[in-house]
Amino acid sequence: MFKATIDADILKSSIETLSVLVDEARFRISTEGLSVRAVDPANVAMVSFELAASAFTDFAADDCEIGMDLTKVNDIFGVAEKNEKATLELDELSQKMSIYIGGFSYTLSLLDPSTIRAEPRIPQLELPAEVVLNGKELQKAVKAAEKISDHMSLGVDGDIFYMEAEGDTDKVRLEMPRDQLIDLRSGEARSLFSLDYLSDIVKPASKSNEVTLELGKDYPIKIGFTIAEGAGKISYLLAPRIESD
Amino acid sequence: MSHNQCVQCKGRGFCGRPACPILEKFRSIESYATASKGVTSIFGASPPAIFIGRHDYPSVMSGPMVPPDMSRNESSMLEDPKQLLGMNIDQIIAARSMLVRAGARMKVKDAADPKDPLLLKSQELALSMTPVDTEVWFNKPLSNKLKFDSVLTPMGPSGDLKDMDIAENPDVPKKVDYLVYDDDALAKDVVSELNSSNISQEHITRLLSIGLLGKERKLVPTRWSITAVDDMLGKEMLRKVRDNTLISNIMLFSGGAFGNHFEILLIPRAFSYELIEIWMPRAVWSGGSTWIGADGEGTEGKKGYSILTGGYYAARLGVLEYLNSIRRQATVFMIREIRPDYWAPLGVWVIREAVRNALQKPPQKFESIDTALSEMSSRIHTPAGSWRQKASLIDELKYQKTLDFFL
Repeated sequence: MFKATIDADILKSSIETLSVLVDEARFRISTEGLSVRAVDPANVAMVSFELAASAFTDFAADDCEIGMDLTKVNDIFGVAEKNEKATLELDELSQKMSIYIGGFSYTLSLLDPSTIRAEPRIPQLELPAEVVLNGKELQKAVKAAEKISDHMSLGVDGDIFYMEAEGDTDKVRLEMPRDQLIDLRSGEARSLFSLDYLSDIVKPASKSNEVTLELGKDYPIKIGFTIAEGAGKISYLLAPRIESD
Repeated sequence: MSHNQCVQCKGRGFCGRPACPILEKFRSIESYATASKGVTSIFGASPPAIFIGRHDYPSVMSGPMVPPDMSRNESSMLEDPKQLLGMNIDQIIAARSMLVRAGARMKVKDAADPKDPLLLKSQELALSMTPVDTEVWFNKPLSNKLKFDSVLTPMGPSGDLKDMDIAENPDVPKKVDYLVYDDDALAKDVVSELNSSNISQEHITRLLSIGLLGKERKLVPTRWSITAVDDMLGKEMLRKVRDNTLISNIMLFSGGAFGNHFEILLIPRAFSYELIEIWMPRAVWSGGSTWIGADGEGTEGKKGYSILTGGYYAARLGVLEYLNSIRRQATVFMIREIRPDYWAPLGVWVIREAVRNALQKPPQKFESIDTALSEMSSRIHTPAGSWRQKASLIDELKYQKTLDFFL
């Protein structure tokens, strides 16, 4: 059983955080809320997503698992106006989700969860450095790097967090000392990442005032932020590239 | 004329000439169907085969292909790649040149509601799994020119079809009979259902081409229908392959046919595909210099038509069939080196069969991509220095780590 009402905006941005990596996802539903763990087809980036029951205005659920085509859900929420509420109701027997929004009533066929890629195992990583900054700043840096190269390095050097991109001929570097950051835990960190992935991940993150980056040396980066006033937690993990000689 | 342009065009007329000079050279090969020269009617067992031209689309030359005086026992090999594979290039041209193309001009949309008796009879012929005795009459006596093309298998002289008669009942498999009457199903779904019912790919292509499959039925020029079926079957197979677990080792397969040498490297990563085509000097399209091209697709699939033309899809299908059969997934890096012994274009079935052939042999296994690459280069005649930098997929794999590496 699952029936819930929520701000359409919150659900829309929740789906966005997933659809940057995957087209379809398995949602675990429990009395606590919704959660998703998904990995992109190339196994380079994964997302963990939790939306607590407190993010909803009404929430009633038993434990179950459903599969949804995110592109279809995105399309449905495209019609939503600001501050509109959406109500979701699951019909387990027919495996359909009814979505009521702005006077529309949609019936969405669900996907058999077993046909969607299994939930990935999450690597347990000790990442020495941590940086907290505004999502806008991060997106600005990624956009600057995209003009120069296909990948960028992120690292911490003493009290400075830096981002660097080097193309065939040109180079760009941005340094942010501790006082320009919200928080910094210094540690040995420098890793190279594909901008294809980074620019997709940074899109939803840019709407958050506080994005936490955890970094190591030639290690994956963890990018975390919250939505819905802390009731929604999103965390990405992106595998690094090895610098070519 | 730049030979680079010839390799990329493969007879599609990019240079603006009315006829391709490379193909024209082969047309003058004397047809072995010499008996047919000057006649106005022929009788023989069609393998069965039909031909839909692409010139003046959407008003195209369409009709059956009939080998004069050939019996049913002999003619089935003319459309059977497995049997053609056992011959040499001269023998293939000799055998295929027996197929006289009898064509009448038809509008492609006529296939949606066929009334022309020539189209109805051609469709009836196409349904058959085994050769059908067919008689055709021509408006003019036959000429003696052959047809060659990069995608199509060589064909004999053509004639202006006046009338045709099917002398016996076609042998129609139940599944085919059932699916051609289904005009609600999409062509791609019907194509994959026919394939999983063990209907041969040549048969499926023939049905699609003569406008017997799918919702919006049209005549599809033979050249396009061959690649359309390679693409549809490949995409369908890829859907299954994407759910498979990864192979456990780096595997290298090697093999080929008719001077098309293949090196096929399978790497334990999510499916993506890159094909490097190396035309050595003096192979069909390359003239005096080497031409190297590359194309590929990542996890998001292929958009648009490959610069490597139909061969890209034929080779992809061969390798996807293999991955599907072992229920595994891999990244595929393939080199096709075309050597001077490939002196006449035989059609993309050569590529499909050469890939299938190579994948049937026991693979070599490797610990690293680099050692596998140097083994590949040792069998490729063209120095690695000239093709290695085109292999962007390999670099991507070497430099981009995956998350399971950190588990």
